[in-house]
Amino acid sequence: MKNCKITSFVFLFILISLGLGISDNDLYAQTKKNRARINADYVKVIGGESYLNIKASARIDKKTVEVSHIDLQILQELNDEEIQIGKTTTNASGISKFIIEDFANLQPDSLGVYNLIISFDGNDSFKKASRDVSFRNADIEAKWIVKDSVNYVSAKLIDTQLDSALAEIPLTVRVDRLFRPLKIGEDFYDTDNDGEIQVPIENGIPGIDGNLKLEVVLSESDDYGTVIAQLTAPIGTVIVDESTYDQRTMWSPRGKTPIFLLALTYSFIFIVWGIFIYLFINLVRIIKS
Amino acid sequence: MKSREQFIQDLAPKKFTKVEKIWLGLLIVMILAGVVAYADQVRSGLQVTNLNDYALWGIYISNFVFFIATSFVGAATVAILRLTQNSWRTPLVRIAEIISLAAIIMAGITIIIDLGRPDRALYTVIYARFQSPITWDVIIIPTYMVAIFYLLYFPLLPDLAILKKYYSETKPRLSKWYGKLSLNWKGTDKQKRIQQKSIKIIAILVLPLGLILQTIDAWLFSSTYRIGWNSTNFGPYFISGAFVAGVGTLVVTIFLVRKVKGLEEYITDYHFDRMGKFLALACLIYLYFNANEYLMPAYASTVNEEVHLDTLFTGHYSTIFWFVTIGGLVVPIILLMFKKGRSPVAMFWIGVLVVLASWWKRYIIVTPTLLHPYLPIQGVPESWRDYFPSLHEWVITGSNLATALLILTLLVRYLPVVAIQRTIDESKLEHNDQKRES
Repeated sequence: MKNCKITSFVFLFILISLGLGISDNDLYAQTKKNRARINADYVKVIGGESYLNIKASARIDKKTVEVSHIDLQILQELNDEEIQIGKTTTNASGISKFIIEDFANLQPDSLGVYNLIISFDGNDSFKKASRDVSFRNADIEAKWIVKDSVNYVSAKLIDTQLDSALAEIPLTVRVDRLFRPLKIGEDFYDTDNDGEIQVPIENGIPGIDGNLKLEVVLSESDDYGTVIAQLTAPIGTVIVDESTYDQRTMWSPRGKTPIFLLALTYSFIFIVWGIFIYLFINLVRIIKS
Repeated sequence: MKSREQFIQDLAPKKFTKVEKIWLGLLIVMILAGVVAYADQVRSGLQVTNLNDYALWGIYISNFVFFIATSFVGAATVAILRLTQNSWRTPLVRIAEIISLAAIIMAGITIIIDLGRPDRALYTVIYARFQSPITWDVIIIPTYMVAIFYLLYFPLLPDLAILKKYYSETKPRLSKWYGKLSLNWKGTDKQKRIQQKSIKIIAILVLPLGLILQTIDAWLFSSTYRIGWNSTNFGPYFISGAFVAGVGTLVVTIFLVRKVKGLEEYITDYHFDRMGKFLALACLIYLYFNANEYLMPAYASTVNEEVHLDTLFTGHYSTIFWFVTIGGLVVPIILLMFKKGRSPVAMFWIGVLVVLASWWKRYIIVTPTLLHPYLPIQGVPESWRDYFPSLHEWVITGSNLATALLILTLLVRYLPVVAIQRTIDESKLEHNDQKRES
């Protein structure tokens, strides 16, 4: 009797499962959630915006995959209190750039450290996750100088909270380019006791109208994040604009067709269709004769 | 020697037989099915096809290229044989002209079928950009169509006048039409002079026009930076391919017309023998260009070319590729070397093989290249990595072919497929020659 009852329950379960279209995979998908990993870097552009570069990923089936279209909260932690400063969503590649609109309103803790939290509340597929980002505020004062007819980039790194120069910190100097920056000189230059570096800029680097967009970068520092100072200096070699936009070329729009092509095509049309008209006249002449 | 009346009786168009009527009905059914499929395509858009962002040119462009190639037969056989005064051409040229006309009309129609918005076809004229080979195509296709029409019409004038007289008592209405179309042809010296001069002009003109047409068609592909297309070889490659497709179609059509119309006396084994040699030459030249087209990239073996050629030689398209190369070129060349291979029946089957291979050749020129872009295919549905025409595309393709065959059938029905007046004149000359010799 007991066996019969068990069999009936099993049978009923199978029927319901089939009827509702629930497969093993569905059940599995509903019960097992993956762990999302959040990475974030703080970036500050002097005189520009400060933002967080966020990337969400997960390890699924021994492969790292991007976690796209998830909602994230950005919180500031202050005195054991979490204050929301904004929200963002990852794109199809699991990346989001969160711009800190009002940096002046952020409060550092007693040690002058800003503490931010990127928080994900979880969804049907992923468990909740968070990432802390802590940084101090630093500035780079960069300028272009000429010494003995040699161009230099001079930069000074300071901790704004302490108002003190930062010594022996590696800085990179580069020229901003469309795809990838062009590094100048060595891989990095350590700041001296005054927090300064001076890097010579070689001649002959091409720039639009001879202007070079130079950058001094403190890269991914544990204490300060990434800090970028930009300056424009007219010390590059002028790029000659070779645009053929105003010329008549084979790749121009139809209003700027090369004259030879117009002449060739119209000659072809007039000659051939002229012959056709002549042949038509011949047909008329045949009728009349 | 046959009398003039006997010649006219033999060569004058005849009523459709029962088989021909069934054939006509079949063509009309196919065309109607195509019209329905096309109406649905216009209503629903190109989503009813299997074309996608990668295979954006599919079976329709293959049809277009095939029709363009076939239309070359007019320029190739007619102009060349006419200008070189080859007397054996007489029973063949009119059918070649008819095929050319039907094919070029269908080429023009097919390209519009490929447009998702056919009303925008006019934009190619309104916003024509002369740097684009598409604009050159828009110019050359109507031009070639007119040229082929003249090429067909001028030599027809004496025959139309003959038919007017021939049908004046038995079929007065038909006779009236022939009379109108014959443009009051009386065969006066002045009329003959104007006609001969016009034929000579158009025969000279149609050859460069045919070459330009094929070259532009080739440049549509080769001016695009794609694997398998971006080749300086493409102009002559297309011209030689058009020779093969055109002569193959001519052979098949002539065989059928001869059989149905009972023209064995006029289109003889000798003509098939000559056409066989002509076809063998065309196949040989095309094989040479094929070797250039495939062996050089295979020798250079850049990564992208290698992927493309692997698909053709051993991969997804290898069956079609080897059928086209061996079945459509090597086998015909071998068979046509033997006299028996140039007999009418053998020629017919060789012609069928060549025409089939010619169509598939266009298909493998168009499709595999599109599926091998330089930038990888990603972020799209998996099905976009491949292309095979949808039912809509096949039905419309069948309809296109049926329309071409309908034009051909109707022209063959109402026009003398072998030039009557010229056959009579040549027969007289031949008779006089024989008399003089004896």
